[in-house]
Amino acid sequence: MDRRDVLAERPVERGRGFMPGVSVNPARVLFTAGLTGRNPDGSLAAGGMAPQTRRAFERLEAVLAQAGAKFDGVVKQLVYVTDIDAYNASGRAERATFFGSARPASTGLVVRRLADPAMLIEVELVVDLAGSPQGKPLLEKFNVESHPGDFYQGVIVNGGRLVYLAGQVANNPDGSVAGAGDWRRQAEKIYENIGHVLRAAGATPTSAVKETTWVLSIDSWRQHGTPVRRAFYQGDYPASTLVEIPGLARPEFLVEIEVIAAVA
Amino acid sequence: MPFSTIATPEARPVANYKMGTRMEGGRLLYISGQVAWDASGNIAGKGDVRAQARQTFQNLRQVLQAAGGDLGSLMKITTYITRIEDFPAVAEARGEVFQGELPASTLIVVKSLFHPDFLIEVEGVAAV
Repeated sequence: MDRRDVLAERPVERGRGFMPGVSVNPARVLFTAGLTGRNPDGSLAAGGMAPQTRRAFERLEAVLAQAGAKFDGVVKQLVYVTDIDAYNASGRAERATFFGSARPASTGLVVRRLADPAMLIEVELVVDLAGSPQGKPLLEKFNVESHPGDFYQGVIVNGGRLVYLAGQVANNPDGSVAGAGDWRRQAEKIYENIGHVLRAAGATPTSAVKETTWVLSIDSWRQHGTPVRRAFYQGDYPASTLVEIPGLARPEFLVEIEVIAAVA
Repeated sequence: MPFSTIATPEARPVANYKMGTRMEGGRLLYISGQVAWDASGNIAGKGDVRAQARQTFQNLRQVLQAAGGDLGSLMKITTYITRIEDFPAVAEARGEVFQGELPASTLIVVKSLFHPDFLIEVEGVAAV
């Protein structure tokens, strides 16, 4: 706990529901998967942005509750929307009902597509948890709902050292791109690179806490990349987010994957 | 330094950034996505990505300093831009700000940011 809000804001940023920066003593930290407006049966909440936003935050609230936290413990939120006008018109107010006066650090992005083309919003959180890590396993991975996805809805890091990987792309050690135009080869190369970097940090695929997968096409990724990802994690998945965006640093790159891990 | 740099000859970065960082102590600081608001609340450099990048990195530094750190405290940054053709100008502005190697870094082209005038947004995680 021991949260400190960093009030380095300009007047224009006041009253916007977020804080420029938040620091904590990272004794216990929860990372959530990106959660969306899905109902328990897998369908999307009907009625557009407002119901989807409400549902996404209800699900996040359940993940927080499982970890013993509330929205005032949120350090960082990342909000992905596909329609900014709809978010401003009706999503923002829904969000505010969950956060109340609590203000996390925040980033908001407009992306091309989320897991389902009808999804309008996805939100992921980093949360400061109370309590001592003493006697707890390094990672606690959990779900609060049964779901068919290859991810955990929440991962708690108890007292570990956090490892932040640069976004990994399909590059060879000599700087050339592996598998230009080839989704499967790029996925293989990226996970190979992630494996090397994790190893160098004293970690393994099991140590992964949170993963963000940025792709130029979710459909192509599911077809060619998902099998490679499954083989890498072998069931022991991190919390994760999958987002479709229009571009990466080089035109050859089809995928970029960021991983946060933790070691003792 | 409250974090260490992770490097391996088997997987190298494609530019001048760290492949990974591992927190070793200190406080974990999450910084909101910074954009090109200037001190008076105007967008610095409307339509000018280079000017926006400079202001954005200045704002990032200001938050770091207010939290007791500086650019060298950053473990990870994520740079979001809206047009891939802006990347060279952003990389140049970023190079002016960071002395030596960048933190672990990700660059993403998004459909847009939360205001249509913003061309760049940068968020960071630091150990302070």
